[in-house]
Amino acid sequence: MPKTRLVLRYMRLTLLLSALVTALTSYGQPTHFETIQQQGQNQPVYFHAWGGDAQINAYIQWLASEVKAAYNIDLVHVKLNDTSEAVNRVLAEKSAANHNNGQVDLIWINGANFAAMAKNKLLAPDWAFELPNFALTNPDKNPAMSRDFSLPTQGMEAPWGQAALTFYYDSVATPVPPKTLTELLSWSKQNPGRFSYPKPPDFLGVSFLKYALLVLNNNRPAQHLLYQPATPQSQALLLPELWQFLDKLHPYLWRSGRYFVSSGITLRRLMGDTELSLAFTFSAPEVAGAVERFDLPRSIRSYAMADGSLSNIHFIAIPYNAAHQASAKLVANFMLSVKAQAKKQQAMVWGDRTVLDLSALTPKQQEKFKPAKPHLSALPINSNSPALSEPHPSWSNLLTHEWLKRYGAQ
Amino acid sequence: MPTLLIALLVLPVLGGLANVILPAFGWLPALGENALSIKGFSALFATAGLTNMLMLSFSSALLSTLLAFVMTILIMASYFNSPWLGRIQRLLGPILVIPHAAAAIAIAFLITPSGLFSRMLSPWLTDWQAPVDWLLPHDPFGLSIILGLTLKELPFLLLIALGALSQKELGKTLHAQHKVALSLGYCPITAFFKVVLPALYPYLRLPVLAVLAYASASVEIPLILGPNTPPTLAVAILHWFNDVDLTLRIQASAGALLQLIVTLFTLTCWLVLEWLVKFFAKNSLTNGQREYAGQLIKWLTHLLTTLLMSVIVMALAGLILWSVAGFWRFPAALPEKLLFMHWQSAFSQMQTPIINTLLIGFAATSIALFLTLLTLEAEQQRGYELSSLVSLLIYLPMLIPSIAFLFGLVWLQEQLSSRHAYFNVIFSHLLFVLPYVFLSLASSYRLLDKRFAQVGASLGAAPLKVFLQIKLPQLLPAILVALALGLAISFSQYLPTILPGGGRINTITTEAVALANGASRRVSSVYALTQMILPGLGFLLAWLLPKFIFRHKDL
Repeated sequence: MPKTRLVLRYMRLTLLLSALVTALTSYGQPTHFETIQQQGQNQPVYFHAWGGDAQINAYIQWLASEVKAAYNIDLVHVKLNDTSEAVNRVLAEKSAANHNNGQVDLIWINGANFAAMAKNKLLAPDWAFELPNFALTNPDKNPAMSRDFSLPTQGMEAPWGQAALTFYYDSVATPVPPKTLTELLSWSKQNPGRFSYPKPPDFLGVSFLKYALLVLNNNRPAQHLLYQPATPQSQALLLPELWQFLDKLHPYLWRSGRYFVSSGITLRRLMGDTELSLAFTFSAPEVAGAVERFDLPRSIRSYAMADGSLSNIHFIAIPYNAAHQASAKLVANFMLSVKAQAKKQQAMVWGDRTVLDLSALTPKQQEKFKPAKPHLSALPINSNSPALSEPHPSWSNLLTHEWLKRYGAQ
Repeated sequence: MPTLLIALLVLPVLGGLANVILPAFGWLPALGENALSIKGFSALFATAGLTNMLMLSFSSALLSTLLAFVMTILIMASYFNSPWLGRIQRLLGPILVIPHAAAAIAIAFLITPSGLFSRMLSPWLTDWQAPVDWLLPHDPFGLSIILGLTLKELPFLLLIALGALSQKELGKTLHAQHKVALSLGYCPITAFFKVVLPALYPYLRLPVLAVLAYASASVEIPLILGPNTPPTLAVAILHWFNDVDLTLRIQASAGALLQLIVTLFTLTCWLVLEWLVKFFAKNSLTNGQREYAGQLIKWLTHLLTTLLMSVIVMALAGLILWSVAGFWRFPAALPEKLLFMHWQSAFSQMQTPIINTLLIGFAATSIALFLTLLTLEAEQQRGYELSSLVSLLIYLPMLIPSIAFLFGLVWLQEQLSSRHAYFNVIFSHLLFVLPYVFLSLASSYRLLDKRFAQVGASLGAAPLKVFLQIKLPQLLPAILVALALGLAISFSQYLPTILPGGGRINTITTEAVALANGASRRVSSVYALTQMILPGLGFLLAWLLPKFIFRHKDL
């Protein structure tokens, strides 16, 4: 038995699974996934996901109605302020020796939270690659789908969407926005108090720091060290540039850099209030949606920085002790379906970029991903910006820690 | 019966505290930390800006409580014999039931640079075409926190003071003594300070301390209005507990213990302050001086009261406008267009939170009412009042910062029954609802004219019958008010919902806090307003039902 399992695992890893599934289905024998399908029906799934955006919450509500119809699964969105709340919960359960009956069935996660859960063995392994719809991401060609901030996912999480750091500005207040990090500094001097970034450990705030760190060390031989665990030597080599830059930038930030918003999404509200004239986000199409709901002025325009856009993938994971693992896998598989991914990409729904490889889809399926008429405030389709990959997750914690030491108390 | 009540309140608090103390000293087996150490404390004391955090927690709590207390006294003194006292009470009363989160959101919207306040003055007076970059809210001195806390504390203290005066004997005596002082030529305000206040303060003391303890460790208001470089200690603890880095939990537990010390220190400072005032004012009580700038104080009070009222009215108006606003670019005083889109889209997502809010509120309050009535009836049948120790213990969940024991309580609950999220949340709410229900009902119960019960008993009615048919109907209005108060307290709970429920149970309050720092002013306004409407409905019912039930009786 262990031998066959080993063989199976090897096959999964070599991604022969999709072929296997089709082959087995045609023979009419219950496949591994069909067993999951039988076990997973008629149960609740508690999906722990950040709940600070009405648009995303509404999309998850739509997911719930779909899996209810398909599998009679009650998908409950547990709205988090911060994903670490769910991480803590699973940890508390582990410490209380609750190894089979956990309250968290599915988590929306990536980066440092994933690294923490993987390190403490809090996630169910080896399930993501066996989802039939995982094959649609064409993992052979897109190795990024099985790496989370340069850490291998080892089947502990399935990709859900991908995002790049996109900037947007109020064209009434500032007709010409800065296109590079250097321009950002000079622009801030001319427009004091009109730009800010969220306080680490907020995800978007740390992302801004990583963008700056990557750009400042661009073309330097030491840059590759950012993709390895941080060491005292690599810190000493790479970080000083960043602090020098921030020291120059902070006096010209909103509130003179004495207060930083705690949550990334607040930047959008400050843009709506016209307190800020320039901000950034990880899900570009939400900007157009916000204009439609009057939360942002009509004069908002989106663009990508010319010196690079930090890009990453966000995932869904299942805790090792989830009470409804089979049901969670069914939901995850549906989240990777063409229907769910196409809907998610629509600007008016959420606008989160799909993880599916469109070239691997049929023309009819590809059709579903074509955008409707582009919105004035949305990111132009032709905007090209070099993708900057996420550094090793250890840098996130380090940046947060060092930032708080320098700027956390003023 | 009191034993059960006390056990119910004290055991969870102490159990929770114990479960915070152990991790604080480095004992957290889940992380493989099995040895006692003080590294949590050394990490805590190495935190950048810890002194600022402590100062902020301490000063915002003490100043806001002092401000609220002084204003309560000034309002009482200036309007002691005037119909305005009742009017101010009716105007401020509704503020009491507004959850802290909603109040903080409303105030933030008012004082923010693009808020209603600067829109009203721009550009005609200020010449601002774009919002200025001033530091309100989130100022490093905690002024915004103080404003928020004061506005929430003032109505509470005022209602407690008026409640004490509405006790028949005390009220009558004090009003009579005040009149005597007036006839001796004392200025009304001097008369209040010299005659009424010394007798009234003992009734205010415990509530003031509860308010102070709450303010020193509250989370919602500093989270929404406070600075974050650094934040107050309580907010920092919350962040540490929720941090990705799980070892920070040890530091957070140590922080929770430090929070306890901060709270105790703040309470001690109040007591010292109290003693100083007593010491220096003792002589002036009997020095016979009739007048101390009474007119000036009166004008000052008028001014402060008007200011207070306008802040409240403007904050409310701002919320209502945002909830129906289309595009609304600064510095326009009104939105371009009014629409109901935000209410519609919010309502489509609000049903479950509203059902949860009501379910938990009614469950916790009904249990609290049942236990309170049982305790009070037992007390009367046995013929002795609760000892002062027991009365103090009832206040325990109000005096010990919830952030200090709730995390421990959650660990405890997880070990006992992790699958019953609703039960855990209702139980945690009960800890906070019970003291209020008890305090609100106890005085009415004890003031009940005992002769009714005696007549009933002498006619042969069993104690149970007397309780059900004589006492309960007489107490109905008081019970309904206690019910409404209990519901309001339960509706407004944030930490006791989010922690024991594991975030699984969403109420209007958890949704409002999650969205308060979110992307949309419009959506958070809708939630904040809903948060205000729900408890308001409870009090409206408590006020209308007795009128309806007793409409045929001449009472």
